[in-house]
Amino acid sequence: MNCEDLKRNFVEYWRGTLNASELESFETHLASCPQCREEAEALKHVWSTLGEMPEAEPGLGMRTRFYASLREAERREMERQSRFWWVRHPALQAGFALAILVAGIFIGNITARGSGQITQLQAEVNSMKQLVTLSLLQQQNASDRLQGVNWSYRVEQSDSEVLAALLTTVNHDPNVNVRLAAVDALHNFADSPVGRRGLIQSLNKQESPMVEIAILDQLVEMKEKDARPAITKLMSANDVNPEVKQHAVWALGKLQ
Amino acid sequence: MRQVRDGDLGSMAVLFERHHRALLNYFVHMNGNRDFSEDLVQDVFVRMMKYRQSYQPDKPFTAWMYQIARNAQSDAMQKRKFEVELGHADVSMTHGMDEKLKREQEIELLRRAMARLSVDKRELLVLSRFQNLKYEEIASILGCEVGAVKVRVYRAVRALGQIFFELSQRRMAAPGEEMA
Repeated sequence: MNCEDLKRNFVEYWRGTLNASELESFETHLASCPQCREEAEALKHVWSTLGEMPEAEPGLGMRTRFYASLREAERREMERQSRFWWVRHPALQAGFALAILVAGIFIGNITARGSGQITQLQAEVNSMKQLVTLSLLQQQNASDRLQGVNWSYRVEQSDSEVLAALLTTVNHDPNVNVRLAAVDALHNFADSPVGRRGLIQSLNKQESPMVEIAILDQLVEMKEKDARPAITKLMSANDVNPEVKQHAVWALGKLQ
Repeated sequence: MRQVRDGDLGSMAVLFERHHRALLNYFVHMNGNRDFSEDLVQDVFVRMMKYRQSYQPDKPFTAWMYQIARNAQSDAMQKRKFEVELGHADVSMTHGMDEKLKREQEIELLRRAMARLSVDKRELLVLSRFQNLKYEEIASILGCEVGAVKVRVYRAVRALGQIFFELSQRRMAAPGEEMA
Protein backbone atom coordinates (compact mmCIF):
# COMPACT_ATOMS: atom_id res chain seq x y z
CA MET A 1 0.00 0.00 0.00
CA ASN A 2 1.48 3.39 -0.98
CA CYS A 3 0.67 6.82 0.50
CA GLU A 4 -2.23 7.40 -1.88
CA ASP A 5 -3.83 4.02 -1.21
CA LEU A 6 -3.48 4.63 2.48
CA LYS A 7 -5.24 8.01 2.37
CA ARG A 8 -8.10 6.57 0.33
CA ASN A 9 -8.61 4.08 3.14
CA PHE A 10 -8.52 6.50 6.08
CA VAL A 11 -12.26 6.56 6.60
CA GLU A 12 -12.66 2.82 6.33
CA TYR A 13 -9.83 2.42 8.81
CA TRP A 14 -11.61 4.70 11.29
CA ARG A 15 -14.89 2.98 10.64
CA GLY A 16 -13.26 -0.42 11.18
CA THR A 17 -14.41 -1.79 7.83
CA LEU A 18 -11.03 -2.81 6.36
CA ASN A 19 -10.54 -6.53 5.97
CA ALA A 20 -7.63 -8.32 7.66
CA SER A 21 -5.12 -8.06 4.79
CA GLU A 22 -6.02 -4.40 4.04
CA LEU A 23 -5.67 -3.59 7.72
CA GLU A 24 -2.28 -5.22 7.90
CA SER A 25 -0.85 -3.39 4.91
CA PHE A 26 -2.48 -0.13 6.11
CA GLU A 27 -0.82 -0.39 9.51
CA THR A 28 2.51 -1.47 8.02
CA HIS A 29 2.62 1.62 5.83
CA LEU A 30 1.41 3.90 8.61
CA ALA A 31 4.18 2.68 10.91
CA SER A 32 6.84 3.38 8.31
CA CYS A 33 5.59 6.76 6.94
CA PRO A 34 5.72 9.78 9.29
CA GLN A 35 3.86 12.12 6.87
CA CYS A 36 0.94 9.74 6.52
CA ARG A 37 0.91 9.19 10.26
CA GLU A 38 0.74 12.91 10.91
CA GLU A 39 -2.08 13.44 8.42
CA ALA A 40 -3.98 10.41 9.74
CA GLU A 41 -3.83 11.73 13.29
CA ALA A 42 -4.92 15.23 12.35
CA LEU A 43 -7.83 14.07 10.20
CA LYS A 44 -8.92 11.46 12.70
CA HIS A 45 -9.37 14.28 15.17
CA VAL A 46 -11.66 16.03 12.67
CA TRP A 47 -13.54 12.81 11.92
CA SER A 48 -14.16 12.00 15.56
CA THR A 49 -15.13 15.57 16.41
CA LEU A 50 -17.69 15.41 13.61
CA GLY A 51 -19.13 12.37 15.35
CA GLU A 52 -19.66 14.40 18.50
CA MET A 53 -21.82 17.00 16.83
CA PRO A 54 -25.21 16.92 18.50
CA GLU A 55 -28.11 15.47 16.54
CA ALA A 56 -31.22 17.50 15.88
CA GLU A 57 -34.28 16.11 17.66
CA PRO A 58 -37.47 16.15 15.61
CA GLY A 59 -40.14 18.37 17.13
CA LEU A 60 -43.68 17.13 17.78
CA GLY A 61 -45.00 19.47 15.11
CA MET A 62 -43.24 17.44 12.42
CA ARG A 63 -45.22 14.35 13.23
CA THR A 64 -48.51 16.28 13.39
CA ARG A 65 -47.84 17.89 10.04
CA PHE A 66 -46.85 14.62 8.42
CA TYR A 67 -49.97 12.79 9.58
CA ALA A 68 -52.16 15.67 8.43
CA SER A 69 -50.61 15.54 4.96
CA LEU A 70 -50.92 11.73 4.91
CA ARG A 71 -54.64 11.96 5.70
CA GLU A 72 -55.03 14.56 2.98
CA ALA A 73 -53.19 12.35 0.46
CA GLU A 74 -55.37 9.36 1.42
CA ARG A 75 -58.51 11.46 1.03
CA ARG A 76 -57.41 12.61 -2.44
CA GLU A 77 -56.52 9.05 -3.40
CA MET A 78 -59.99 7.82 -2.36
CA GLU A 79 -61.61 10.64 -4.31
CA ARG A 80 -59.57 9.76 -7.36
CA GLN A 81 -60.48 6.09 -7.04
CA SER A 82 -64.19 6.81 -6.61
CA ARG A 83 -64.11 9.08 -9.66
CA PHE A 84 -62.69 6.28 -11.80
CA TRP A 85 -64.31 3.32 -10.08
CA TRP A 86 -66.00 2.25 -13.31
CA VAL A 87 -62.63 1.98 -15.04
CA ARG A 88 -61.53 -0.73 -12.64
CA HIS A 89 -64.81 -2.61 -12.43
CA PRO A 90 -64.46 -5.68 -14.66
CA ALA A 91 -68.12 -5.88 -15.66
CA LEU A 92 -68.25 -2.25 -16.66
CA GLN A 93 -64.93 -2.42 -18.44
CA ALA A 94 -66.30 -5.30 -20.45
CA GLY A 95 -69.59 -3.52 -21.04
CA PHE A 96 -67.74 -0.46 -22.23
CA ALA A 97 -65.62 -2.52 -24.59
CA LEU A 98 -68.71 -4.26 -25.90
CA ALA A 99 -70.49 -0.95 -26.44
CA ILE A 100 -67.58 0.24 -28.54
CA LEU A 101 -67.67 -2.96 -30.55
CA VAL A 102 -71.40 -2.71 -31.13
CA ALA A 103 -70.97 0.89 -32.23
CA GLY A 104 -68.22 -0.33 -34.52
CA ILE A 105 -70.54 -2.91 -36.05
CA PHE A 106 -73.24 -0.31 -36.50
CA ILE A 107 -70.88 2.06 -38.26
CA GLY A 108 -69.44 -0.80 -40.26
CA ASN A 109 -72.95 -1.82 -41.25
CA ILE A 110 -73.74 1.66 -42.52
CA THR A 111 -70.50 2.35 -44.27
CA ALA A 112 -69.28 -0.97 -45.57
CA ARG A 113 -72.49 -2.87 -46.15
CA GLY A 114 -70.27 -5.83 -46.65
CA SER A 115 -71.71 -9.01 -45.21
CA GLY A 116 -68.24 -10.54 -44.81
CA GLN A 117 -67.15 -7.74 -42.55
CA ILE A 118 -70.33 -7.92 -40.52
CA THR A 119 -69.93 -11.63 -40.01
CA GLN A 120 -66.40 -11.03 -38.88
CA LEU A 121 -67.47 -8.34 -36.47
CA GLN A 122 -70.25 -10.51 -35.11
CA ALA A 123 -67.71 -13.22 -34.50
CA GLU A 124 -65.60 -10.70 -32.66
CA VAL A 125 -68.56 -9.66 -30.54
CA ASN A 126 -69.24 -13.29 -29.68
CA SER A 127 -65.67 -13.84 -28.73
CA MET A 128 -65.79 -10.67 -26.64
CA LYS A 129 -68.89 -11.92 -24.81
CA GLN A 130 -67.15 -15.20 -24.18
CA LEU A 131 -64.12 -13.41 -22.83
CA VAL A 132 -66.20 -11.25 -20.52
CA THR A 133 -68.11 -14.24 -19.19
CA LEU A 134 -65.01 -16.31 -18.58
CA SER A 135 -63.08 -13.52 -16.94
CA LEU A 136 -65.99 -12.55 -14.69
CA LEU A 137 -66.47 -16.17 -13.61
CA GLN A 138 -62.90 -16.15 -12.36
CA GLN A 139 -63.18 -13.02 -10.25
CA GLN A 140 -62.64 -13.17 -6.48
CA ASN A 141 -65.73 -11.20 -5.77
CA ALA A 142 -68.97 -13.27 -5.72
CA SER A 143 -71.03 -10.46 -7.22
CA ASP A 144 -68.64 -10.28 -10.18
CA ARG A 145 -68.98 -14.03 -10.68
CA LEU A 146 -72.76 -13.67 -10.52
CA GLN A 147 -72.52 -11.13 -13.30
CA GLY A 148 -70.39 -13.61 -15.20
CA VAL A 149 -73.19 -16.16 -14.90
CA ASN A 150 -75.63 -13.54 -16.25
CA TRP A 151 -73.29 -12.79 -19.14
CA SER A 152 -73.30 -16.48 -20.06
CA TYR A 153 -76.89 -16.05 -21.32
CA ARG A 154 -75.53 -13.88 -24.11
CA VAL A 155 -73.08 -16.37 -25.52
CA GLU A 156 -73.88 -18.95 -28.19
CA GLN A 157 -75.20 -22.25 -26.90
CA SER A 158 -72.43 -24.02 -28.73
CA ASP A 159 -69.73 -22.26 -26.70
CA SER A 160 -68.03 -25.17 -24.99
CA GLU A 161 -65.62 -23.03 -22.99
CA VAL A 162 -68.39 -21.08 -21.30
CA LEU A 163 -70.27 -24.32 -20.69
CA ALA A 164 -67.22 -25.86 -19.03
CA ALA A 165 -66.75 -22.74 -16.92
CA LEU A 166 -70.39 -22.84 -15.81
CA LEU A 167 -70.09 -26.50 -14.84
CA THR A 168 -66.94 -25.73 -12.86
CA THR A 169 -68.87 -22.95 -11.12
CA VAL A 170 -71.75 -25.31 -10.28
CA ASN A 171 -69.32 -27.84 -8.82
CA HIS A 172 -66.76 -25.69 -7.12
CA ASP A 173 -67.87 -22.10 -6.52
CA PRO A 174 -67.68 -21.35 -2.78
CA ASN A 175 -70.77 -19.16 -2.93
CA VAL A 176 -74.21 -20.87 -2.97
CA ASN A 177 -75.91 -18.00 -4.80
CA VAL A 178 -73.39 -18.17 -7.62
CA ARG A 179 -73.81 -21.95 -7.86
CA LEU A 180 -77.60 -21.61 -7.96
CA ALA A 181 -77.41 -18.98 -10.70
CA ALA A 182 -75.04 -21.20 -12.68
CA VAL A 183 -77.49 -24.14 -12.42
CA ASP A 184 -80.20 -21.91 -13.87
CA ALA A 185 -77.87 -20.66 -16.60
CA LEU A 186 -77.18 -24.24 -17.67
CA HIS A 187 -80.75 -24.34 -18.93
CA ASN A 188 -79.41 -22.31 -21.83
CA PHE A 189 -77.26 -25.32 -22.72
CA ALA A 190 -80.11 -27.86 -22.50
CA ASP A 191 -79.44 -28.97 -26.07
CA SER A 192 -75.86 -29.83 -25.30
CA PRO A 193 -75.22 -33.45 -24.28
CA VAL A 194 -72.10 -32.25 -22.46
CA GLY A 195 -74.18 -29.77 -20.46
CA ARG A 196 -76.79 -32.37 -19.53
CA ARG A 197 -74.19 -34.94 -18.56
CA GLY A 198 -72.30 -32.37 -16.53
CA LEU A 199 -75.42 -31.42 -14.62
CA ILE A 200 -76.20 -35.06 -13.83
CA GLN A 201 -72.67 -35.62 -12.56
CA SER A 202 -72.70 -32.55 -10.40
CA LEU A 203 -75.83 -33.75 -8.58
CA ASN A 204 -73.78 -36.16 -6.47
CA LYS A 205 -71.04 -33.62 -5.84
CA GLN A 206 -73.18 -31.03 -4.10
CA GLU A 207 -73.31 -30.37 -0.39
CA SER A 208 -75.92 -27.64 -0.36
CA PRO A 209 -79.55 -28.91 -0.29
CA MET A 210 -80.65 -25.75 -2.14
CA VAL A 211 -78.35 -26.47 -5.05
CA GLU A 212 -79.35 -30.15 -5.10
CA ILE A 213 -82.99 -29.16 -5.34
CA ALA A 214 -82.22 -26.63 -8.10
CA ILE A 215 -80.39 -29.29 -10.12
CA LEU A 216 -83.27 -31.74 -9.65
CA ASP A 217 -85.69 -29.08 -10.94
CA GLN A 218 -83.46 -28.36 -13.89
CA LEU A 219 -83.14 -32.05 -14.81
CA VAL A 220 -86.90 -32.49 -14.60
CA GLU A 221 -87.42 -29.46 -16.79
CA MET A 222 -84.95 -30.85 -19.32
CA LYS A 223 -86.76 -34.18 -19.11
CA GLU A 224 -83.41 -35.82 -18.62
CA LYS A 225 -84.20 -39.46 -18.08
CA ASP A 226 -80.52 -40.41 -17.94
CA ALA A 227 -80.43 -38.66 -14.58
CA ARG A 228 -82.40 -41.38 -12.84
CA PRO A 229 -79.41 -43.43 -11.55
CA ALA A 230 -77.82 -40.29 -10.12
CA ILE A 231 -81.09 -39.29 -8.44
CA THR A 232 -81.47 -42.76 -6.97
CA LYS A 233 -77.93 -42.56 -5.65
CA LEU A 234 -78.68 -39.18 -4.09
CA MET A 235 -81.79 -40.58 -2.34
CA SER A 236 -79.90 -43.50 -0.89
CA ALA A 237 -77.05 -41.44 0.51
CA ASN A 238 -76.80 -41.63 4.30
CA ASP A 239 -76.55 -37.95 5.02
CA VAL A 240 -79.15 -36.72 2.54
CA ASN A 241 -81.36 -33.87 3.63
CA PRO A 242 -85.01 -35.06 4.11
CA GLU A 243 -86.36 -32.27 1.86
CA VAL A 244 -83.90 -33.17 -0.85
CA LYS A 245 -84.87 -36.82 -0.53
CA GLN A 246 -88.54 -35.91 -0.87
CA HIS A 247 -87.80 -33.76 -3.90
CA ALA A 248 -85.74 -36.55 -5.45
CA VAL A 249 -88.66 -38.92 -5.11
CA TRP A 250 -90.84 -36.36 -6.88
CA ALA A 251 -88.24 -35.90 -9.63
CA LEU A 252 -87.88 -39.60 -10.21
CA GLY A 253 -91.66 -39.83 -10.55
CA LYS A 254 -91.59 -37.05 -13.16
CA LEU A 255 -88.83 -38.68 -15.15
CA GLN A 256 -90.45 -42.12 -15.42
CA MET B 1 -42.17 1.33 0.10
CA ARG B 2 -43.34 -1.40 -2.22
CA GLN B 3 -46.72 -1.32 -0.44
CA VAL B 4 -46.89 2.46 -0.74
CA ARG B 5 -46.13 2.24 -4.43
CA ASP B 6 -48.94 -0.30 -4.84
CA GLY B 7 -51.45 2.11 -3.32
CA ASP B 8 -51.18 1.47 0.42
CA LEU B 9 -50.51 5.03 1.58
CA GLY B 10 -50.90 3.97 5.22
CA SER B 11 -47.49 2.27 5.00
CA MET B 12 -46.02 5.74 4.52
CA ALA B 13 -46.43 6.21 8.28
CA VAL B 14 -43.97 3.36 8.88
CA LEU B 15 -41.43 5.00 6.59
CA PHE B 16 -41.93 8.33 8.32
CA GLU B 17 -41.34 6.85 11.77
CA ARG B 18 -38.24 5.05 10.54
CA HIS B 19 -36.55 7.82 8.58
CA HIS B 20 -37.74 11.29 9.57
CA ARG B 21 -35.06 11.77 12.20
CA ALA B 22 -32.22 10.82 9.82
CA LEU B 23 -33.66 13.09 7.16
CA LEU B 24 -33.98 15.99 9.58
CA ASN B 25 -30.33 15.61 10.50
CA TYR B 26 -29.30 15.35 6.86
CA PHE B 27 -30.94 18.71 6.17
CA VAL B 28 -29.76 20.37 9.38
CA HIS B 29 -26.18 19.41 8.57
CA MET B 30 -26.60 20.54 5.00
CA ASN B 31 -28.15 23.94 5.61
CA GLY B 32 -27.83 24.61 9.32
CA ASN B 33 -31.41 25.83 9.70
CA ARG B 34 -33.71 23.70 11.77
CA ASP B 35 -37.10 25.15 10.79
CA PHE B 36 -36.16 25.12 7.16
CA SER B 37 -35.01 21.50 7.55
CA GLU B 38 -38.32 20.46 9.11
CA ASP B 39 -40.10 21.93 6.08
CA LEU B 40 -37.79 19.99 3.80
CA VAL B 41 -38.45 16.68 5.61
CA GLN B 42 -42.14 17.34 5.09
CA ASP B 43 -41.46 18.07 1.45
CA VAL B 44 -39.57 14.77 1.04
CA PHE B 45 -42.49 12.72 2.33
CA VAL B 46 -44.96 14.61 0.16
CA ARG B 47 -42.72 13.97 -2.86
CA MET B 48 -42.44 10.27 -1.95
CA MET B 49 -46.22 9.97 -1.96
CA LYS B 50 -46.51 11.93 -5.18
CA TYR B 51 -43.79 10.11 -7.09
CA ARG B 52 -44.23 6.69 -5.50
CA GLN B 53 -44.62 5.08 -8.92
CA SER B 54 -41.01 5.97 -9.68
CA TYR B 55 -39.74 3.77 -6.85
CA GLN B 56 -38.10 0.61 -8.14
CA PRO B 57 -38.41 -2.21 -5.57
CA ASP B 58 -35.19 -3.87 -6.74
CA LYS B 59 -33.14 -0.77 -5.82
CA PRO B 60 -32.30 0.25 -2.23
CA PHE B 61 -34.98 2.43 -0.66
CA THR B 62 -32.43 4.63 1.14
CA ALA B 63 -30.83 5.65 -2.14
CA TRP B 64 -34.20 6.65 -3.58
CA MET B 65 -35.10 8.58 -0.42
CA TYR B 66 -31.84 10.54 -0.37
CA GLN B 67 -32.14 11.31 -4.06
CA ILE B 68 -35.50 12.90 -3.32
CA ALA B 69 -33.96 14.68 -0.31
CA ARG B 70 -31.13 16.07 -2.44
CA ASN B 71 -33.57 17.37 -5.04
CA ALA B 72 -35.73 18.95 -2.33
CA GLN B 73 -32.68 20.64 -0.81
CA SER B 74 -31.35 21.84 -4.13
CA ASP B 75 -34.75 23.19 -5.29
CA ALA B 76 -35.24 25.01 -2.00
CA MET B 77 -31.75 26.51 -2.09
CA GLN B 78 -32.35 27.83 -5.57
CA LYS B 79 -35.63 29.38 -4.54
CA ARG B 80 -34.46 30.94 -1.33
CA LYS B 81 -30.83 31.66 -2.10
CA PHE B 82 -30.30 30.24 1.32
CA GLU B 83 -27.01 30.69 3.08
CA VAL B 84 -25.72 28.13 5.51
CA GLU B 85 -25.86 29.52 8.99
CA LEU B 86 -22.58 29.73 10.75
CA GLY B 87 -23.74 29.56 14.34
CA HIS B 88 -23.28 32.29 16.90
CA ALA B 89 -21.38 30.78 19.79
CA ASP B 90 -18.20 32.51 20.89
CA VAL B 91 -15.46 30.20 19.76
CA SER B 92 -12.45 32.06 21.06
CA MET B 93 -9.88 29.63 22.45
CA THR B 94 -8.35 30.56 25.75
CA HIS B 95 -5.50 28.78 27.40
CA GLY B 96 -6.22 26.65 30.41
CA MET B 97 -9.93 26.36 29.77
CA ASP B 98 -11.96 23.43 30.92
CA GLU B 99 -11.59 20.34 28.65
CA LYS B 100 -15.32 19.93 28.15
CA LEU B 101 -15.77 23.54 27.21
CA LYS B 102 -12.79 23.31 24.89
CA ARG B 103 -14.35 20.31 23.15
CA GLU B 104 -17.64 22.12 22.77
CA GLN B 105 -15.87 25.05 21.18
CA GLU B 106 -14.02 22.73 18.83
CA ILE B 107 -17.34 21.27 17.75
CA GLU B 108 -18.66 24.78 17.15
CA LEU B 109 -15.56 25.59 15.12
CA LEU B 110 -16.03 22.44 13.09
CA ARG B 111 -19.60 23.43 12.42
CA ARG B 112 -18.28 26.67 10.97
CA ALA B 113 -15.73 24.79 8.94
CA MET B 114 -18.52 22.57 7.57
CA ALA B 115 -20.48 25.64 6.58
CA ARG B 116 -17.51 26.91 4.58
CA LEU B 117 -17.05 23.62 2.78
CA SER B 118 -18.45 23.31 -0.75
CA VAL B 119 -21.93 21.76 -0.92
CA ASP B 120 -20.62 18.63 -2.68
CA LYS B 121 -18.00 17.94 -0.05
CA ARG B 122 -20.34 18.76 2.82
CA GLU B 123 -22.89 16.34 1.43
CA LEU B 124 -20.31 13.53 1.23
CA LEU B 125 -19.45 14.04 4.89
CA VAL B 126 -23.09 14.22 5.92
CA LEU B 127 -23.88 10.97 4.13
CA SER B 128 -20.80 9.09 5.29
CA ARG B 129 -20.35 10.45 8.81
CA PHE B 130 -23.75 11.56 10.08
CA GLN B 131 -26.01 9.28 8.09
CA ASN B 132 -23.43 6.51 8.38
CA LEU B 133 -24.21 5.20 4.90
CA LYS B 134 -22.04 2.58 3.23
CA TYR B 135 -19.96 3.62 0.23
CA GLU B 136 -22.17 1.47 -1.98
CA GLU B 137 -25.25 3.38 -0.86
CA ILE B 138 -23.57 6.74 -1.38
CA ALA B 139 -22.44 5.64 -4.83
CA SER B 140 -26.01 4.72 -5.65
CA ILE B 141 -27.33 8.09 -4.40
CA LEU B 142 -24.73 10.13 -6.27
CA GLY B 143 -24.75 7.91 -9.33
CA CYS B 144 -21.03 7.14 -9.34
CA GLU B 145 -18.60 4.29 -8.68
CA VAL B 146 -17.71 3.13 -5.17
CA GLY B 147 -14.03 3.86 -5.85
CA ALA B 148 -14.88 7.46 -6.68
CA VAL B 149 -16.84 7.82 -3.42
CA LYS B 150 -13.84 6.59 -1.47
CA VAL B 151 -11.58 9.23 -2.99
CA ARG B 152 -14.15 12.01 -2.69
CA VAL B 153 -14.84 11.29 0.97
CA TYR B 154 -11.13 11.43 1.72
CA ARG B 155 -10.83 14.74 -0.14
CA ALA B 156 -13.81 16.11 1.76
CA VAL B 157 -12.32 15.14 5.14
CA ARG B 158 -9.01 16.70 4.15
CA ALA B 159 -10.67 19.92 2.93
CA LEU B 160 -12.69 20.14 6.15
CA GLY B 161 -9.53 19.52 8.14
CA GLN B 162 -7.72 22.34 6.36
CA ILE B 163 -10.48 24.86 7.05
CA PHE B 164 -10.81 23.64 10.63
CA PHE B 165 -7.08 23.96 11.40
CA GLU B 166 -6.95 27.32 9.72
CA LEU B 167 -9.82 28.56 11.88
CA SER B 168 -8.27 27.05 15.01
CA GLN B 169 -4.92 28.67 14.37
CA ARG B 170 -6.52 32.04 13.77
CA ARG B 171 -8.42 31.71 17.03
CA MET B 172 -5.32 30.71 18.92
CA ALA B 173 -3.39 33.63 17.44
CA ALA B 174 -6.09 36.19 18.13
CA PRO B 175 -8.36 34.97 20.97
CA GLY B 176 -11.66 36.81 21.32
CA GLU B 177 -11.64 38.23 17.78
CA GLU B 178 -15.01 37.95 16.10
CA MET B 179 -15.08 35.34 13.35
CA ALA B 180 -15.71 36.64 9.84
